[in-house]
Amino acid sequence: TTDKRGIIINLNNGELCAISAQCKSSCCHRKSATSLARCAPQSAESEICSKKSLYATYYHCTCEAGLKCEGDWSIGGSIVNSNFGTCVDPHRAKTINN
Amino acid sequence: DVVCFDNIGCFSDEMPWSGTTERPIARLPWSPEKINARFLLFTRQNPDSHMEISTNADVISRSTYQPNRTTRFITHGFIDKGDENWLIDMCKLMLSIEDINCICVDWKSGSRTLYTQAANNIRVIGAQIAYMISIFGENFQQKPENVHIIGHSLGAHMAAEAGRRTPRLGRITGLDPAEPYFQGCPTLVRLDPSDALFVDAIHTDALPVVPYLGFGMSQAVGHLDFYPNGGDSMPGCEKNIISQIVDIDGIWEGTRDFVACNHLRSYKYYSDSILNPQGFLGYPCSNYDMFESGQCFPCTSTNKCPYMGHHADQFKVPNGVNKMKFQLNTGDARPFSLYRYRVTATIDGSRTNLGNFKVALYGVQGNTRQYQIYKGMMSPGKTYQLLIDVEKEVDDLTYVKFIWNNSVLNPLLPKFGATKITVQRGRDGKMFQFCGKNMVRENILQTLSPCK
Repeated sequence: TTDKRGIIINLNNGELCAISAQCKSSCCHRKSATSLARCAPQSAESEICSKKSLYATYYHCTCEAGLKCEGDWSIGGSIVNSNFGTCVDPHRAKTINN
Repeated sequence: DVVCFDNIGCFSDEMPWSGTTERPIARLPWSPEKINARFLLFTRQNPDSHMEISTNADVISRSTYQPNRTTRFITHGFIDKGDENWLIDMCKLMLSIEDINCICVDWKSGSRTLYTQAANNIRVIGAQIAYMISIFGENFQQKPENVHIIGHSLGAHMAAEAGRRTPRLGRITGLDPAEPYFQGCPTLVRLDPSDALFVDAIHTDALPVVPYLGFGMSQAVGHLDFYPNGGDSMPGCEKNIISQIVDIDGIWEGTRDFVACNHLRSYKYYSDSILNPQGFLGYPCSNYDMFESGQCFPCTSTNKCPYMGHHADQFKVPNGVNKMKFQLNTGDARPFSLYRYRVTATIDGSRTNLGNFKVALYGVQGNTRQYQIYKGMMSPGKTYQLLIDVEKEVDDLTYVKFIWNNSVLNPLLPKFGATKITVQRGRDGKMFQFCGKNMVRENILQTLSPCK
């Protein structure tokens, strides 16, 4: 791939990041609070996801385009960044039979 | 001149071992005692702690070695060492699926020296391996047909030396066989198809050593030669320096990757292929450009596809044939497996519009991520086609989803939709056809179901 590579922005998957805006995939993912954050692909349909938030990094990536991260939210959850859900297609029911 | 050691014969530094353009500097190999090659045996009886054996029948008979099962040697390369975890991890993975004698050959004191010296030391260790195989044969009646040597970098040519001395050796796997001092040399010196009944090679660093620092050979050396991602620059190896060194598996692994990321990918692909062969399907193709343009797609009964890596020996090589080349793509991080499809999409829309569209595949075993099929002027009625490598085996497809967007604000709220999407699966050429009627605005998923 010949797209331009950055140290700070336009980062490929696997590169170290601080905030999600740096990543081409727009998801800066860390496995645990202590682990380093790296750019990672967004979650696909029916995968675990985080709701988009002001937090720079996510324990689970946000969903791909057209998908919504559905799950039960709690105020506490949004504070400690543990609002996880599953990526769902909001239009799934209507378009199945066309 | 010549140097001789007991049981393994004499080694000269005359032509072709030196004095040629490829091998200018003459060096005699060190003695077995100085190289101090160690043979670390792992079996299902001792999967976690090795048992050291040697070229001595009594030592072997007291070990957990058993002749009635396959024996696999694994050898490392230049500056590497035997108890490096990748050899031990590979043994563990193999032991998890098969009952074998797994022997890691650790020759670090012979490999941590000048390259030209190490490139000659492997001849002694290769001879020791051959001697050990002959002991397996004479004292334990294990046939050389079920002995397999896996060698990385210089280790591949060490395996070749053992194979040259062991008629009817079962298999040699060359993981990015080393280029300097071997590429372009006569077959006596390097790995070639005559060294074993079945020789397969994985090339992951095939650029020339000058000026690109490519350590691996581009030259085909086996019955089957695999060139993942074209063979010279591996995805995930172009990370920026900081991200490369501070690796997921720690600084040491990161430093190894920083120095030779492409070169080390060969054994990582092999390890991953042990548990998941289907993710490393090789397409018969003479070069990567033809593969990327789709000429070698899909696999058919005449255009058969072997698995790259551990299960490559399931492929029936037509006799007398060798140097068959295969291409495939891999992921940029573990798990490296990918599955290839050709997607053909005909779209409809309110009018021609700049933008891009993606397709996600949904099947019996789950769904894949969205893959961009086209970026540019999207015009109604036009058909776009692309080969993609998805990250997941989703089995037979049940439906697909289409989504488009463009980065420009669209006050007129244009709509696009796919009227027909045909997906052809690489591993068997099976076609899946999906039809859709409705059109959607930007960033809305359109589902297409099988055409009636």
